Amino acid sequence: MAVQAGGATASLPIRAMAPGGVTGPKRRRLRVAHGRSGLMMTSPFLALFAVFFAGPLIYSIVLSLRSPLTGAYSGLLNYRSAFSNASFWSAIVRMGYFGLIQVTVMIGLAIVLALLLDSPYCRGRKVFALVYFLPYAVPGVIAAIMWGFLLEPDLDSALGLPHSLGLTSGPIQPLSYRLVLYAIMLIVTWEWTGYNMTILLTSLTNVPHQVLEAAKVDGASELSIATRIKLPLVRRTIIFTVVLSIIGTLQLFNEPVILNEIATTGNSLTPNQIIYNTAFVFGNEQLAAAQSVILAAVTIVATVAFYGLVRRRMNPLAAPRATRAVAK
Amino acid sequence: MSVNAAQLRSPAFRGSRGVLARRAKTTVTTAFLVLVAVYVLIPIYWLVVASSKNTSQLFNTQTFLPPLHVSWASNFKGLFTFEDGDFRWWLLNSFIYASVTATLAAAVSTLCGYGLAKYRFRGRRMVFALVVGSLMVPATALVVPLFLLEHFMGLTNTYQGVILPLIVYPFGVYFMSIFCADAVPDGLLDSSRVDGAGELRTLWQISRPLLMPGIVTLFLLSFIGTWNNYFLPLVLLGTESRFPLTVGLSAWVSSLSSVGAQPIYPEIILGSFVSVLPMLVLFPFLQRYVARGLSFGAISGE
Repeated sequence: MAVQAGGATASLPIRAMAPGGVTGPKRRRLRVAHGRSGLMMTSPFLALFAVFFAGPLIYSIVLSLRSPLTGAYSGLLNYRSAFSNASFWSAIVRMGYFGLIQVTVMIGLAIVLALLLDSPYCRGRKVFALVYFLPYAVPGVIAAIMWGFLLEPDLDSALGLPHSLGLTSGPIQPLSYRLVLYAIMLIVTWEWTGYNMTILLTSLTNVPHQVLEAAKVDGASELSIATRIKLPLVRRTIIFTVVLSIIGTLQLFNEPVILNEIATTGNSLTPNQIIYNTAFVFGNEQLAAAQSVILAAVTIVATVAFYGLVRRRMNPLAAPRATRAVAK
Repeated sequence: MSVNAAQLRSPAFRGSRGVLARRAKTTVTTAFLVLVAVYVLIPIYWLVVASSKNTSQLFNTQTFLPPLHVSWASNFKGLFTFEDGDFRWWLLNSFIYASVTATLAAAVSTLCGYGLAKYRFRGRRMVFALVVGSLMVPATALVVPLFLLEHFMGLTNTYQGVILPLIVYPFGVYFMSIFCADAVPDGLLDSSRVDGAGELRTLWQISRPLLMPGIVTLFLLSFIGTWNNYFLPLVLLGTESRFPLTVGLSAWVSSLSSVGAQPIYPEIILGSFVSVLPMLVLFPFLQRYVARGLSFGAISGE
């Protein structure tokens, strides 16, 4: 899973930055000269962006409109076959189901961990914060190899334990067709909980001291400080981590590919697996391009829909109100 | 004797019940935190133990217990000699891909972010909108068309073919433009200009030291991202000697299931251990920088 740090952010501080100190015509002359240097400084990025980002993006749209057989313009033919392809749609729906469970569990756990590390009941905060963040340094492929071997009964004798105790008819098979989706959830949660916790913890550290002290003076318990003051104040950060996770879920690739190599768990579990197969196993690049465009569109729609949902459902005044109530 | 409010609220004054309750909460909290830490550390612990076992030990000894006789020496020999020692190339390649990409991505993003933050020019807002808009595009959507374009340009199966697309790091530009706006005061730039220094020289001599923490963060994020990347090099590379560790190890894993193949489990496990070891060892020192970068998008939107 290739989650890029960043993602969509709500407000963007584009600041007016007039160089101060110099005035009059001299300043204008300076500004024009400076302006040119500014454009020059952005040009290496813009050149690479044009070739390796905008180029492929436009090309995939052009390609998706061409016939796989003749290469001629074929309208929405590829989109029609992508839409009518049952396995592609069930992969997208499967990711919806996956995300509903996995993202909820992971962000829930990340919130609890961040609040506990931020509470006075935590000993050794630095050590725990480091340990939880460690999986970020482990490539998804390696994480999948480790967990894949650990979830294979041949290699992991512990999976045979319930069987030897007479509880099950055989060793547990987490990589069986029935359970593999949950095995991937276990792996992805392992990989990204600490990452999300780190983001939340940094945000919690930025909650103003005065607010927390005022709450303590008023006799608020640690639990109500955590749920009524800290949580509303880091609400935007929580939304941000959920959005990153939704994007990551729809892009899942590394873990299912590696697990399939270990235990033949299926080569079309996720949309990206299907896109890869369409392009490089079946050589149908035009259809793969259409599928990529659809996946990108689904990702953007899911992100925007989630933003819309939380904007409407949650009171936008929630955070200020909590602050005001305490600061009084 | 007068007692002030702070003393009244102190745990000691509230009596032993408050102390006990607090201690109980600390115990429960610690127990839960340890439990989660075990979940995080189990696979890493297993990796260390399993990397010391040979094939028969892997299948016949207790999974989480170290073997009676460690096989590290023979495993290392196998790892570095199997199939003409391809693994050595993968290790070197991963290092090349990650360090070159991170250096160039940090340089290009810093230059662009600095230009956006400190200068006003025609099209500045459009460039900014482009950068922010591309944060929404999932990176994997570009892989297939990127392969076709690179194939056309003769860049597939080359180092630069993997490195060049990864230098384009919109988040890095976004991060740097905000970092520059806060870290470099405009007055400082003006006085440097009055002294007659050119813009690039000002950037290098005056601004660069102030920007260093941000540059380090960017370098690390890009380094880790490239080191961990799999999809892009998998698609772009065909020759084994160009593979990074992730693609190479996954090729070994897929060979496990082919008929008559050698059971190279120990090589794969030790290879995985070697691939994560450098980063795990350095992580305590780097954590601070990395964490700052990750939280950046969230906090600036706060």
